[in-house]
Amino acid sequence: MCPIAMAPAAGTGPEAGFRGVIRVSFGTAAVPAAEGSAGMAGHDVRFDAADREALASLIAVLEQARVGVRLILAGPPADVAAAAAAAAACGLLEEEVTLLANESGRRLVFCAHCRTANTTVQGVGSEVDCEGCATTLAFSGHFSRRIGGYLGFAAHAEEAA
Amino acid sequence: MSSGVIDGTAVLPERISRFPFPFPSDSYRYSTNVEPALKTVVTEAGAWGGRLLDIDEHYRHELTERDAVLTRDPTRLQVLPHMRPAVWDAISTLLPIMAAEHPDAMSFDRDGNACRWQNTLQDLDLEFTLGDDGSLPVEPLRFLGSQIQDDIALLDQREGALWLDAGLVTFAADWSFGFDVGMKFLEVHGPVPRVHQEQIITRAQQFLLRLQPGEKYRRANWTMTVDRRLDTSTETYPQWARDRATVAGDPALPDRLHLRVEVQHLIRLPHSGAVLFLVRTHLLSLSDIARVPAWRERLGRVLAELPEDMAEYKGISRYRSAASAWLLGT
Amino acid sequence: MTATALQAKVHPAVEGGLLLEVADLSVQTASVTSITFTDPAGTALPGYVPGSHLVVQYGDGANAYSLTGSGRHPSEYTISVLRVDDGAGGSLAMHRLAVGDLVRVSHPRSAFAPVATARHHLLIAAGIGITPMLSHARAAAERDSEATLVYVYRPGQGAHVQQARELLGPALAECTDRGSFQEELTRRLTDQKLGTHLYLCGPAAFMDTVLARARELGWPQGRLHSEPFGAAELDQGEPFTVNLARSGVTLEVPAGISLLEALENAGKGVPNMCRKGVCGECSLQVLRGAPLHRDLYLSEQEKSANTTMMCCVSRSLDQELELDL
Repeated sequence: MCPIAMAPAAGTGPEAGFRGVIRVSFGTAAVPAAEGSAGMAGHDVRFDAADREALASLIAVLEQARVGVRLILAGPPADVAAAAAAAAACGLLEEEVTLLANESGRRLVFCAHCRTANTTVQGVGSEVDCEGCATTLAFSGHFSRRIGGYLGFAAHAEEAA
Repeated sequence: MSSGVIDGTAVLPERISRFPFPFPSDSYRYSTNVEPALKTVVTEAGAWGGRLLDIDEHYRHELTERDAVLTRDPTRLQVLPHMRPAVWDAISTLLPIMAAEHPDAMSFDRDGNACRWQNTLQDLDLEFTLGDDGSLPVEPLRFLGSQIQDDIALLDQREGALWLDAGLVTFAADWSFGFDVGMKFLEVHGPVPRVHQEQIITRAQQFLLRLQPGEKYRRANWTMTVDRRLDTSTETYPQWARDRATVAGDPALPDRLHLRVEVQHLIRLPHSGAVLFLVRTHLLSLSDIARVPAWRERLGRVLAELPEDMAEYKGISRYRSAASAWLLGT
Repeated sequence: MTATALQAKVHPAVEGGLLLEVADLSVQTASVTSITFTDPAGTALPGYVPGSHLVVQYGDGANAYSLTGSGRHPSEYTISVLRVDDGAGGSLAMHRLAVGDLVRVSHPRSAFAPVATARHHLLIAAGIGITPMLSHARAAAERDSEATLVYVYRPGQGAHVQQARELLGPALAECTDRGSFQEELTRRLTDQKLGTHLYLCGPAAFMDTVLARARELGWPQGRLHSEPFGAAELDQGEPFTVNLARSGVTLEVPAGISLLEALENAGKGVPNMCRKGVCGECSLQVLRGAPLHRDLYLSEQEKSANTTMMCCVSRSLDQELELDL
């Protein structure tokens, strides 16, 4: 189910029934103007980060749109992933969404042991200390689109205390 | 029904004679090892596989254990909203099978959507309405998981792929269902080494995508576990990880180390079209395995021969040499 | 029971299937009749996925027909058959069935399932293509999920119109001429909320037109689902000869008998499933000659290569085909 949408700020959404390209950027990322918009109407939205408010506003835009719409998301991996999860919950298919995540930038690492969502700028394959349970977490490429993050698990649990 | 070969003077207990020993030869590699369900397999110690839903001496204990795990960590049970019909489809498919396979302990009657389920192993006599969540004492998937020993996963089929969109998994072998729910079948298996180059998971998915309603298949998978610990999920990894390091030096290794075999059933549910994945975990200690000479030798050789990347993924690399040495007496 | 209905020889497509009794016949239109099958012992039948089809044996042949129920715990299976006077004969045989006849059928097979995550189901049917849509509409009603049906039929020839009206109420749009359908189609395709899936069944040319229009309006492939089983059966085709290179056998394939059936009759059965050119299971390698491709499985590119053919529906343009068999 699509999460309940908050009303978008006046004047921010495209017209009702929009079937063009919605280009969303987070932080300083920019969506290349030509990306995916061959002959389609475009609508640009910029947010500082994919926080609750930004996601609610994105959902409100999507609720107004109609099948035929395409979505382009650009920015740090964590923000792009969070927005992609919201779009999927609104019923968008993978083939309707283009993800342009920065190589670097913040990522979400989900602690398997205490379920805290940690933010890190470390790359895949490194370690991060969990803010919830202080366990040092290893995270590899195991990624959930629904959660928008990587699975983190105790990195040194088998070693002697 | 206990029939086993003679071990010295004693007949083998059922936990050994009915154990699904998974190795036909002295070496093991991944394969798309799927076969029709319900075929009885004769082993050196007895036989297994004649039933879809296996009930053994651990029935009540394991269901109590499952309930405790779920109470501690409710994320082991998840049903994405579109999977509700699939859960009911699983219930209306499995209960009649279970009753037919265990007629002296269970019975299932259905009239339209009105059902009556009796399970004397739990002193249970229940009337409920299919499709009506409120007619069961607990949520539907938790109820199903309170009747069968198997872990349950339900895969939705769409966009040419299978998605792990619902399940009740309390006895995971080193994975996190709570994290993986909602992922594609291929993504769930992302971390498994070798299987991707060898196209094993892709072929398995092709097979599952074409599975027709009512068809039932099975496969076996294996790893090893220290003690009879069923909940070896990623969530509880910090609690059991140390055992992996210490068991090799423990004189009690043959009693503590268990071969863990998952008999997995793959069933296309008739009405929802979802693929039902049942995972029934069997644990047997090395001491018990050693009571069947052929098993003792074969497991010892498989463990010695297994390539390091596979041993690493299965989490057995710290103790497999010790286990192999004990089994082979070297 | 008429003695002619039940054939002693079980057709491979219905092997391991069910033996059912014709319980009811109901005339839908001048050319469409609904046939209801039940278990002679009165027990419930296996459930099925909405949009499933049933393979029914007639004489030496077998045809697939869409089931029209929701598929939940059915006590009967109902199909609707359009009589095709110059077809391979299946529809005529179905129309000759009488109440009490015993018929061999397959287990229901699913190849046109609803998408469980869909937030809305847009169903579009033309003519006899209404049959799987009834199944979808009924299942949607049972599951409380949203469905809209656009039904195109010739005036006075709409099978199941009354049932569709009762089932869908205002969510049914009826079109009886081309112009109004084109208008309706464009309106629907441009005004669907995200998460809508489109399901389509009707004559091949009709489906091609609708799919092309949907793509033009930005619908991605993943939202488009089409089902050929409701469409009328293929014509009988011309006779031809096949030369099986590996076994050194030559077979005649008469008009009205598929290559798959000819191979099966000669004890050269090949793996197959749908027998309608959809699933890709019965693909054969062609060594020489040009097949007459009539399947929906191979891409245009693969078809023009003339190296692979689906023997359940495809025939030959040349007098003789050589197969790697």
